[in-house]
Amino acid sequence: MKRKRFPWLEIVLLIVVLTVVGVLVNNLAVNLIRTGLGLSFEWLWQPAGFALSEHTLPYQPRDSTAWALLVSWLNSLRVIACSIVLATVLGVGAGAARRSLNPLLRQLAALYVGLIRQIPLLLQLLFWYFVAFLGLPSEPMAPIGALISLSNQGVAILGLNLSVEFSAVLVGLSVFTGAAIAEVVRGGLDSVPKGQWEAFRSLGISELLGLKKVVLPQALPAILPALSSQYLNLAKNSTLAIAVGFADLYAVSDTAITQTGRAIEGFLILLLSFLALNLLINGGMQALNRIVVRPAQRT
Amino acid sequence: MTGSWTAYRKRLLQARRHPLQTVLSVVILALIAWVVWSTATWLVFGADWSVVSENLPLFAVGAYPENERWRPCLWLGLLCLMTATTLLQPLMSARWRISGLALSWCWLAMLPFGLLLLAGGAGLPTVSSRDWGGLTLTVLLTGFSGLLALPLGVLLALGRRSKLTLPRHLCRFYIDGMRAVPLIAVLFFGQLLLPLFLPVDIEINRVLRAVVAFALFAAAYVAEDVRGGLQAIPSTQLEAAAALGLGPWQIQQLVVLPQALRVAVPALTNQAIGLLQNTSLMAILGLVELLGISRSLLANPAYIGRHLETYIWLAGLYWLVCTAMALMARQLERQGPSASTSAIPS
Repeated sequence: MKRKRFPWLEIVLLIVVLTVVGVLVNNLAVNLIRTGLGLSFEWLWQPAGFALSEHTLPYQPRDSTAWALLVSWLNSLRVIACSIVLATVLGVGAGAARRSLNPLLRQLAALYVGLIRQIPLLLQLLFWYFVAFLGLPSEPMAPIGALISLSNQGVAILGLNLSVEFSAVLVGLSVFTGAAIAEVVRGGLDSVPKGQWEAFRSLGISELLGLKKVVLPQALPAILPALSSQYLNLAKNSTLAIAVGFADLYAVSDTAITQTGRAIEGFLILLLSFLALNLLINGGMQALNRIVVRPAQRT
Repeated sequence: MTGSWTAYRKRLLQARRHPLQTVLSVVILALIAWVVWSTATWLVFGADWSVVSENLPLFAVGAYPENERWRPCLWLGLLCLMTATTLLQPLMSARWRISGLALSWCWLAMLPFGLLLLAGGAGLPTVSSRDWGGLTLTVLLTGFSGLLALPLGVLLALGRRSKLTLPRHLCRFYIDGMRAVPLIAVLFFGQLLLPLFLPVDIEINRVLRAVVAFALFAAAYVAEDVRGGLQAIPSTQLEAAAALGLGPWQIQQLVVLPQALRVAVPALTNQAIGLLQNTSLMAILGLVELLGISRSLLANPAYIGRHLETYIWLAGLYWLVCTAMALMARQLERQGPSASTSAIPS
């Protein structure tokens, strides 16, 4: 219906954008030539020269920087994956508790969510590291038999040794994201009409069974998208691990950049590695979506 | 109070009919008692608050020159006064009440005024931004980056919904890209890489670089919140406005945006609170805002091992400021200038 006009506005905009990008790139080139740096990725294959506090793959300072970055990427992945599991357990528990029959439990959960969400994550991480984990006695203490042993040297669960830094980041991220997930879960539970709750309660079905069979299948389609964005937030927030000295992707990239002076290249690699992490989480959540939501909608 | 207590006890009694609930209640009560007891004994016997009490000026203003400290302190005091005025509005008699619009303008004016006070000029000796710090810097960073992020975010949100292909894709690329990277990377870019993209002779100070980085990052999130608000406006509104002969810009400015922003206010408040909390990340990159100043304090041998006291104090401060922001946003929303517009047709 509408007469197609000549796209003046778009052409002007395109020219403006191209000019700005051109000026920026030109400035960059001038600066790189001025400092004699240029662009090069040679340094990736040079020996890294720094130690990593922890590594899942064998690593030594004489290994290449690229290898150090890969090892740190795996460290990030490890802490993110563990935190996602723990945060989900905490968040689902706290979210369900806010709709529980027990008023004490409801208030406790509300207190947790309200408190955690008003305090910066970085401050919480510092607390977990410097106060909670480094404050442990140097002699290992085992509160639950041989299941778990705690000391300021590290944490051992069922013979699995975790460093203090890893534990602090794990607990800090999980507690913080758990509060956000609790809100997501509560919102999802609230999206299920009240009549559904009353119906299963009046049928004498227990709270847990009713939650599992009646409420959750209806709440999950609302919960899952918000949940995956919380997981992505968790992954992004894991970069704060640098503050407690955990050798994650950002911390090692930062060290590599300081050592080589290759800021632009290092930053590009950091972005690409992070993109890979994001894609991984997105892919996982989409697979979960297919598994969980489809069967629920079919019935 | 008593009514709610009896209702509460009744619900407790109801819950007691399930044996499991009783056990749960007892466990939770024991847990609460234990936490309260150990906290109380620590507060009385274990805690040493000298790290906080001896350094209050540092927490407030950082390394600001001592004989000029009244300037940031005056600003913080005025902010507290404004907060109290805003929060106490509903309790005041009509004679003392200030309109929401006037209050909003006062809040907006506080920012340039604070900058003038801190930086100096106009008769005051100048103080380099390197000496700014503490709560003052935290509030300043939050205020200015929020102020920049809001219009940028609105533009991005409008661009993302534009009928024109190029702006739509550009805005989408920017928003999605920015939301995919961690904030610390953006701040790192702002501190270390931004100078590389600027001409050699232009130098921006670190605080301004941080503000720009925060604003660019927050704008992407603001854009998504505003887009949510825009989606809440029914298309009949646009058609009605067009039928009245309004141009496309007038439609956005007079009809769509005022309503969309109003819908987005709660989400935007959350963003503002998130922004305040996120300014703590600058401690990693070397600015001495609230968290940065505590890190340098804790490195001082005189306060070795006083982490818990410092962190509790900081958590309390952040909690207080965040809660005040949330309450004020609700207040301004209720009192806001557009609250009465829905009554105009009658």
